[in-house]
Formats: sequence, structure tokens, C-alpha cells
Amino acid sequence: MIEKGRISSFQMAIIMNPAIIATGILLVPSLTAAKAERDMWISPIWGSIFGFLIVFVTFQLHKQFPKETIIEYSEHIIGPILGKVLGFIYLFFYLHINGIIIREYGEFVVGNFLFNTPLIVILSSMVLVCAFSVRGGLEVIARTAQIFVPIVILLWLLIMLFLLGDLDLNKMLPVLEKGVMPTILGAAGPASWFSEYLLIAFMLPYLSDPEKGLKWGHLSVLSVLIILVITNLTTLLLFGDITADLLYPVMNAGRYISIAEFFQHLESIIMAIWIAGTFLKISIFYYALVLGTSQLLKISDYKPIVFPIGLLLILVAKWTAPNLIELKHFLGTSSVFYFLFMQIVIPTLLLIIRLLRKKLQVKRGTKSEAISHDKT
Amino acid sequence: MARKWRKLKKLQDLLLKQEPIQAVESQNRINQQPNSQDKLATSLDTNISKLQKIYENCSDVIFHNFIFGGTDQAFLIYIEGLSNIEELNDKVLTPLMENVKIDDSTKQIDRFKTILQKKISVSKIQEVLTYPDIIYQISSGNPVILVDQMSNGYAVGLAKWEKRSIEEPSAESVIRGPREGFIESIGVNTALIRRKIKSPKLKMEEVKIGRLTKTAVIVAYIDGVANKTLIEEVKNRLNRIETDTILDSEYIEEFIEDNPYSPFPQTLNTERPDVASAYLSEGHVVILVDGSPFSLVAPITLYSLLQASEDYYNRPMLTTAIRWLRYLFVIITLLLPSVYVAVLTYHHEMVPTTLLISMAASREPIPFPALVEALLMEIMFEILREAGIRLPKQIGSAVSIVGALVIGQAAVDAGIVSATMVMVVAVTGIASFAIPHYNVGMSLRMLRFPMLFLAGFLGLLGISLGVIMIVTHLCTLRSFGVPYLSPMAPMQGDDMKDVMFRLPRWAHNTRPHLTGKYNKYRQASNLKPSAEKGEE
Repeated sequence: MIEKGRISSFQMAIIMNPAIIATGILLVPSLTAAKAERDMWISPIWGSIFGFLIVFVTFQLHKQFPKETIIEYSEHIIGPILGKVLGFIYLFFYLHINGIIIREYGEFVVGNFLFNTPLIVILSSMVLVCAFSVRGGLEVIARTAQIFVPIVILLWLLIMLFLLGDLDLNKMLPVLEKGVMPTILGAAGPASWFSEYLLIAFMLPYLSDPEKGLKWGHLSVLSVLIILVITNLTTLLLFGDITADLLYPVMNAGRYISIAEFFQHLESIIMAIWIAGTFLKISIFYYALVLGTSQLLKISDYKPIVFPIGLLLILVAKWTAPNLIELKHFLGTSSVFYFLFMQIVIPTLLLIIRLLRKKLQVKRGTKSEAISHDKT
Repeated sequence: MARKWRKLKKLQDLLLKQEPIQAVESQNRINQQPNSQDKLATSLDTNISKLQKIYENCSDVIFHNFIFGGTDQAFLIYIEGLSNIEELNDKVLTPLMENVKIDDSTKQIDRFKTILQKKISVSKIQEVLTYPDIIYQISSGNPVILVDQMSNGYAVGLAKWEKRSIEEPSAESVIRGPREGFIESIGVNTALIRRKIKSPKLKMEEVKIGRLTKTAVIVAYIDGVANKTLIEEVKNRLNRIETDTILDSEYIEEFIEDNPYSPFPQTLNTERPDVASAYLSEGHVVILVDGSPFSLVAPITLYSLLQASEDYYNRPMLTTAIRWLRYLFVIITLLLPSVYVAVLTYHHEMVPTTLLISMAASREPIPFPALVEALLMEIMFEILREAGIRLPKQIGSAVSIVGALVIGQAAVDAGIVSATMVMVVAVTGIASFAIPHYNVGMSLRMLRFPMLFLAGFLGLLGISLGVIMIVTHLCTLRSFGVPYLSPMAPMQGDDMKDVMFRLPRWAHNTRPHLTGKYNKYRQASNLKPSAEKGEE
């Protein structure tokens, strides 16, 4: 196997948490507010259904092929040629989505803190740092996650706590004024974030305790759900109807904090710590991309291709959108179908095909072939 | 790279699985079969001429010719200053030179053995068969006796040389706790440990390293507590060393590290026998090196480097608070100057207005940007620190007075640095000295400079990236297969009792996960004291 490290299911759950919320808490509130308005806090709940679904689907696929990632078993399910094609599509998808994430990070930093620093410097410095952790392998990413995630969560809790005095419960009333439909439309954004849980397909084969993978996967989705609901709720109670017009509501909320005239303007510190979360998110996507590439091309070691792919990532991040407005527009509209199709529909189809073919083979009495597939 | 990694991985797996491992064949050089050339000849003249040739131009080696038992030629060889001459004269030479009436029919060797047993009142007498043996024995201070017609000699254990008395270690002093420290003589050091751990399970295996120095290196561990794989790995790494001189344990340290390019030390050095014993009882391996008062402990984690021996001699709650303070010191040492530079350069809005005004006022006459100012002061501080260590104590005080003026008042008055910067640099320096192990403090202080540059170029973003790089590096690092940041990453909840906190002794029921899992429980489980228990 290319990856020699082993992580626990708990570590996988910890990695996946920032892999969703790092950019999620920045962009999801205003995306959901645009559609669901005062009921924006309900939308992540609908969105999380996709998260639970994809964890379940990925785990079932993993049970069929315990030692393979999605890049490898797609060849077994839909044949070598189609499988390779699908593998390539997935690699380009991960290249693209990681480019988008890096760009989101870069735009955020340039737009809020380092106004005069060239975007390319910020993008490449981050990719360089991530490249080092990816070269360390899955274990190193898991360990860095264990160090940083508690800090990021603590920071988030503190922001929410400090804002407690400024919240106004009346701003969320009336609940469900226009029915359920707006909240479901608003769920499109969170759903595409939750669909990123497909990433566990790249980690499940390397678990030291795979039987707990499903449990911890679902707990991880639950933790993300709670964080997104509370974030949405806080921004709603703080800003009310104007949430949709803000680019980064949580950041604005951070500016709001003023404790004892001393703890104020904390946004720089929030940014500094939030970067740790983004770092984890980019690293794990980057890792999936590198691992998938080496598996598809049957390279024995993934370390040599880390830096070349990093270069590609910087370029994709630069090319992915002309500016932040277009990027956000893309994220709020067409990307939803794109992400959901790639990360939910295709894996589900793969699982269905696999189960059907297995059933057919059993019916025909050619059990042996099904078993031989299992062993591969 | 990949191979090394795989090996480490295997080591860790084995540590975790605690499988019985077949002992790798030890390549201990002492046990090697001697060459036929090295063996002693039967003729005394041959032996002596050969030894005299070996020790040509060595004025400190004494060859003493005497008549043994009134009939036979014999030679005594020793090095001046390494042996106890009075005892040698009284207890060895005098009885040997007496006329002894023994049946002539007995063989020479038997005669000699009888005399050794009957007359010589020295407890440690070793037979030597080869020239390298003789050389080693005389170099260690044991005089060697060679008798005519015998192809073996005898080394008499009368080694005695000048050594330092046992003192309190200056680098690891305590307010409460044992005050004795290791010295340069390995025999005393092993005795200091043995006095604390009296169980025969404490094993000490000796290896000789160094072509010139033949330094005795002892691997100490507790049988049944330390993992066998770990012991084998330590011995293998030691046996790999093929160098001419080993003058301090640092020489060994650099040869056996997992990652030689890391700025962080991967073994812990201690001068304190109590610390060494504590680590032994937790399943670590202690490496003692002759000639060095510093013993090495392996494997270690970053957290063990941030703990002082006094943590265990003070009340637990207090110690927990001090540990948290120490973690804060680490952050201050690494980040304070760079955060200051970043805030001044990019993030003014973070500073409360009144403070900002006073800071701006003090910076007003300064011609340099914050980064240059910080670098200037940091370098000045490092110069003073280095000069203070190297200089004789009498001049040292002069340096500190001049330094205090240069780094302090004068620099501010001259308008070169601001008063706040002086404070930041001073606090950072003191915080780095508060870290118990000097070498970690040094590593962190050196890492402060790249952090300063990152802060100067990218602000808080740069600091974040720098910290991420350092943490990633620490996550990759291993010490003898043990992850450097365990039990934090990978998480071991149970081991937090001695990392995040310092629970009372009665709560330390288990040994640390990765080193002590081989023999998990260290004490009875129900030791919490209470008044009711006493009445029972």
C-alpha cells in the first residue's frame, strides 16, 4: 500500500471537522441567509442529511473493498477503462475543489488583512506549508489536526460566548414564516459542504479500527452540524436581516466583540487561528489528490509528486475565478449541482451498481467471481 | 527515507503490540573472539617487549620487574596516577615477593593461583588473556601482573584516580528534593542509580565506543518494564557508532537521533540520578557515558523536556499550575517578539487606544522599522547571554552591568530602540530561561528568528504559517519510534495525568502508554488516602 501510516477512527473524525467548517463558517451563513432569511439556522439540518448519507454510502463501499480508496475500487465496479476515466475525473475534481478552497482562503486574507500583499504570495505560502504536512503522510495530518482542532473550536466557542450579550432572540421570529421551502433552498450551500465527507473514502482503508469508522464518521457530521447551526443562529441573532449582505458574517461578528475596552478588534487573532483550520482543510484535500494520483498512475510513493501537484494547485487557485464576487456566485449557484453530483450521486451510483452486480452474480450462481472481487 | 520510516513504524507497532521479540544478535565488540596474534605468549620476555613496544614513549606507564615467590621473574605494569599505589605495595607486591615454599611438582599456574587466593587481599582480580585486554585494564587503572611461563596475566582491581565529589547539579537545581548529581566517573554514576533502584531487575549493559577513547557506555533499563525492542534498538544504534572519540554524552546523542536535522533534541539529558531512576521506572532506557555527568534518556516526548524534577517534589495542584505557566513560557519564548512586530507593523487596531498612544510615543524617535529594531535587540541579547556563559565569573558581572546599560537605558536614551521593545526582549529572554531543559530553550530561542522574519513580512498570517510549520515538524518527529508530541497527538487520554496536569502520586496508577505498556500498572489501584481508611 502507498500509505503506510494508520490513524484511528477518532482521528479521522477530528480531521474531517475542520475539513468542513474551516471555510464553512465563513461562507455558509451568508449563503443560507440569502435564501432562507430568518430561518437560516434550519438549513444546515437539511444539508447534513447529505453528510450522513455520504458517510453511510462511503462506508458501505469501504466494506465491499476494505483496502481500497474510491480511485481504486471504481475500476472494480465499472470496469478498468471506465474506472480509470472516473478516477481521472475525480482527480480533476479534487484539483478544482482544492483550488477553490485555496482561493477562498487567499481572497479572505487579501480582502480583510493584507490588502497590499499579492494574492499569489498568500496562496503559495499556504500551499508550501500544506505540502510539508502532506509529505509527512496521513498520520502527520491527523496529529496536526489533534493539536489544532481543539484550539480552533475553543476560539469559535469564545467568539460565540463573547457575543452572548449582544444577541437578540426577536430577530429569529417568526419561525418558518414562509413555510419549509426557503430553508430547503437555503440548504443547497451547506449540502455541498457536507458532501465533502466523501473524503473519508481516502481515509477509511487506513484506519486502525475500521469497524468504528461509521460511528465516528456520523459523530463528525453531527459535530459539524452543531457548529454550523450555532454559527448561523448567532449571526442571525446578531445581524438579523442584513446577514445575507455581509460577505463574512462571522468575521464581522468578531469585530463586534469588545470586552472591558481591552479585548476588541480581535479579528486578526481570529484570522491567525482560523488559518490553522484552513491549513487542515487544504492539507486533507491536497492529500486525497496526491494519494489518488499516485494510486491511479500506480506510483509506488506519493512523496515525489507532492510539490509538482502543489504548483498545479496554486495555478488552479489563481485561475478558478476572476474575483471573489464571481467565486461566491459560483458557490451559491451552479457549484451546488457540481459538488453534489460528484460527491454524492456518483458514489451512490457506484454502490448501487456494485450491489446489483453482486446480486446478479449470486443469482447466476457465479459466486466465485464475486468473492474474487472482494479479495482484490 | 522511506526505509527508515518503515523501520520506525515497525518499531512503534512493536512497542504498541508488546509482542515478545527475538533478540537481535548483539554485536557487542567486547565479546568478539580475540585474534591469535593478540594472545599472550608463554614467554615473559616476549610479552614484555611487545608491551613495551606498544607503550613506546609513554612515560606514564610503569613496568616494574620483581621476583615472584623467590624464584620466578614477574612484571607489574600500571599507569601512574590511575591506581592506588599504597595498596598495590602493601597488598600485592609484598605478599608476592615473599619466599613461598610450595611443592615444586605443582605447575606454575597452579602455584600462582594458590598464592593469589591465599595471600592477596584484593576483592577484584580478573584474568587477562590478550594484549587489548591488558591495555584496557591498565588504562582503566587496574595494574596487571605477568609471570614467566604463564600465558595469562592478572589484573588487580586497584583503580583509583582523582575525581570530583558528588555535588548538586548546577543546571537542574531544586528547592526540595535530592541534591546529588552525577559526576564524570561512570562507576559512581551507576552506583548512584543502583542506590535508588535496588531491584536486580535493573540491568546495566556495557558497550565500549571510540577507537581512541574506548569510552564505557552503559545502557541501563529495568527488565520487564522497558520494551525489549526498544532496548535492542538502543543497543543496535550504539553499536553502529564507529568513531574515534567519545568525550561526552552529546557525542552519543548526535549519533543515535531519529532525525539529525531537527532543531529539537530527541533525547533528554539529565545530571540527576533521581530523574534517571524515575525514567527507568517508566520504561525508558538511560544511557550513561563515562567521563560525562550527563546521562541520556530515550525515548522522550516534547512534554518530558518541559518538566522539571521538582514537579514531583511539590504539591500536585501547584505543579499543575506551574506546568501551565511553563507552556505559556514556551509560547512567549517563541512568539512574543514576532507578535509584537506583527502588531506594530500590520495590526495596529488590535492594541487598545491608550496603549497604542504610549507605544507610538516611545517609538516616535526610533529610525528603524519594528523588525530591524527587534532583530537588533534580540541579537544583542544573544551576545550578552553567550558572553555571560563563556567568561570567568569575575568578568561576568562586569558584562552583565555593561549589558544592562547597553541593552537597557542607554539604548533607549540614544533613540535606537523603544522602551517597549526592551521590555519585550527581556521578558522573552527570561521566559526562555524558565524552561527547565536548557537545550529546548535554546531550540525555541533559535526558532524565534525565522518567526521574526515571517512576522515582519506577513504579519500574524506569517506567524500562523510559521507555527503550523513547527507543529507539523514536531508531528513528524519521533524519538526512538515514539511520536514526539504524544500523548497529545496521537491522543492518549490516560497519559494526560502527567502532561496537562500533575495528578497526585496515588493517581499515577499506570505507566506512560508508549514506553510502559509492556508492564502497565505501577502501583496498587486504591491508594487514595482518607481518614476512614486509617481507622480500618
